[in-house]
Amino acid sequence: MSKMRDRLGEHIGPLCCAIGVIAVVALYAAYQPAILSAFGIASLANASVTLALAALGQTVVLMTGALDLSIGSEISLVNCFAATFMGDGTTSIVLVVIASLLIGVLAGAINGVVVAYGRVAPLIATFCTSFVYAGISLTLRPQPGGSIPDSFANLLTGNWGLLPFSAVLLLLAVLVIWLPVFRSRLGRFILAYGDNPDSAFASGIPVRRVGMAAYMLAGLFAAIAGLFLAAETTSGDPSIGNVYTLNSLAAAVLGGVALTGGRGSMIGPILGAILLSIILNVLSVVGISAFWQDFIEGGILILVLGLAGIRLLRAQSWTSLLGRSQS
Amino acid sequence: MSATTDLQPGRSGPRLSAAVRRGALPWLILAVVYALCVIASADFLTWHTIRLQLIQAAFIGLVAIGETLAILIGHIDLSIPWTITLTGIFATNLYAAHPHEWVAFGAAIGIGVAVGLVNMLGVYVLRVNSLIWTLSINLMLQGLTLIYTNAAAPTTVVPPAAKFLALGMVGEIPMAAVLWAVCAVIVIGALRFTPFGRAVYAIGSNELVALVSGIRLGRVYAAVFITSGVMAALVGLLLSGYSSQAYLGMGDDYLLPPVAAVVIGGSRLAGGEGGYGGSIAGAMTVILLEAMLITLNVSQGEREIVFGAILLALAFLFLGRSRR
Repeated sequence: MSKMRDRLGEHIGPLCCAIGVIAVVALYAAYQPAILSAFGIASLANASVTLALAALGQTVVLMTGALDLSIGSEISLVNCFAATFMGDGTTSIVLVVIASLLIGVLAGAINGVVVAYGRVAPLIATFCTSFVYAGISLTLRPQPGGSIPDSFANLLTGNWGLLPFSAVLLLLAVLVIWLPVFRSRLGRFILAYGDNPDSAFASGIPVRRVGMAAYMLAGLFAAIAGLFLAAETTSGDPSIGNVYTLNSLAAAVLGGVALTGGRGSMIGPILGAILLSIILNVLSVVGISAFWQDFIEGGILILVLGLAGIRLLRAQSWTSLLGRSQS
Repeated sequence: MSATTDLQPGRSGPRLSAAVRRGALPWLILAVVYALCVIASADFLTWHTIRLQLIQAAFIGLVAIGETLAILIGHIDLSIPWTITLTGIFATNLYAAHPHEWVAFGAAIGIGVAVGLVNMLGVYVLRVNSLIWTLSINLMLQGLTLIYTNAAAPTTVVPPAAKFLALGMVGEIPMAAVLWAVCAVIVIGALRFTPFGRAVYAIGSNELVALVSGIRLGRVYAAVFITSGVMAALVGLLLSGYSSQAYLGMGDDYLLPPVAAVVIGGSRLAGGEGGYGGSIAGAMTVILLEAMLITLNVSQGEREIVFGAILLALAFLFLGRSRR
């Protein structure tokens, strides 16, 4: 019985998100039936994929019990880089895409070195590097602008019948990066390390390399998100990624990822990201003024964090949380 | 500063030499940065320039009071930028409608207390990580400010008292610096000689032990975050006095610099060690660094890189290592 409840508890986050997504889409469709057309589905998918990718990256790091506050800046960095250097030729597009992914991994590797080898607290470390990355994007592109060739933009944001290419991109990211990693030893190491760093170390897991790999994966997901944003907006903007830092965290928490590490799935954060994006999308469509956006976004975040806090309080004795950096 | 010798942080005891080293280091860094400034431009030798920097440093320093307390108990407050902006805009608008000084200052204190209480609710009661919680509150305050202003132009009516506190002079010394010195003495005194100060250090060192020793954690948390909120709100008023108007984004430069000031000042980011004395040197260092980079025509992006890198280097070198 308790085993069943445990398993339900494990899936309660993704389950709630799935129900939430269906409910919100149903409401949306009742208000605006066009949303179920090919174009509507593509626009909803485009609106959610960036956050879904960011949330996946955030989840990898959360599973190790750490946190990445530089994801937003990494997204901006890649976005600005791609929009500045992509050009028009096929060769340059391919080269820039590869370079963008490498930049993401490199940014993640810097985070990883500082946290895993420098032993600076993850929050502070990634908070600092986020300013460094944001500064680089601002230097690269002081004003929003740049250009993205139509061919690249259409490749990522178009649709084939009811199937949006952005969903394919997300699927590819999951199939090519997430599944291989979490089917391998590295994935188990990440979970083991997040669950209990001390015993992971004692069992001979190379904890530093695992921590570093997690940040590099987060950087890779952030780079894909940045490239997708570049295709979606066909320009570069040094502040475009800012919102994704906190929202990726909210999406992951909504999707049932434990902020204490060692637990999480791939489907939860994706559903959480879709739910969050659609809610924000609906708000602007039903005519709530743009001035309310930040307030509502912040409100959702606080609600999610607060609820996670309350759940934690019920799960453990409050005093056991003292002095430890929670959620 | 007039009372330099009084302002050294650190605690007495067996680790005296370390404490002295740590206490002196921020002032050493300040001296080096000031020397660099003078090399960059001889203007930094004139009292006129120093006075301008002192006013700027006072704003950072006042905000750093709350930030120091928050960091000493092992947390952080990142809701400062939009507390500043919201207060600046709301209080000046209120003053424009009801021209009494106390209305503006009352509103500012009200906002500060409210923000502090919400922060305390999330960080203390719900145990959400303070960095994330206060950043979210910052986002919410930003939204609140945008909703409130609704794209209206800011008022240029500013309470004279705010103007005087920001721009006034006592002889040759700016009023803002005097206010800063008074607040600094109060904070350092409170941290050193009152039960509140001991409770702050106890919580930062080991919260569970603090609880078991009978310290009322909730009250200390409330005091810390309310102080931080009220100081930010006050600086919001001062800043609108300084530029004779309140405007959107006026607090944007107050996210990283206060934290940098505290860290340069030698307080440990994990809490429990440090004090406000170092933060004073830290606030001046941050302002001088910024002024120097502007003098050298360094772009905003590069300034962000420099600040992030410096903070990271400091955290790595000797201050904020995680206890794992």
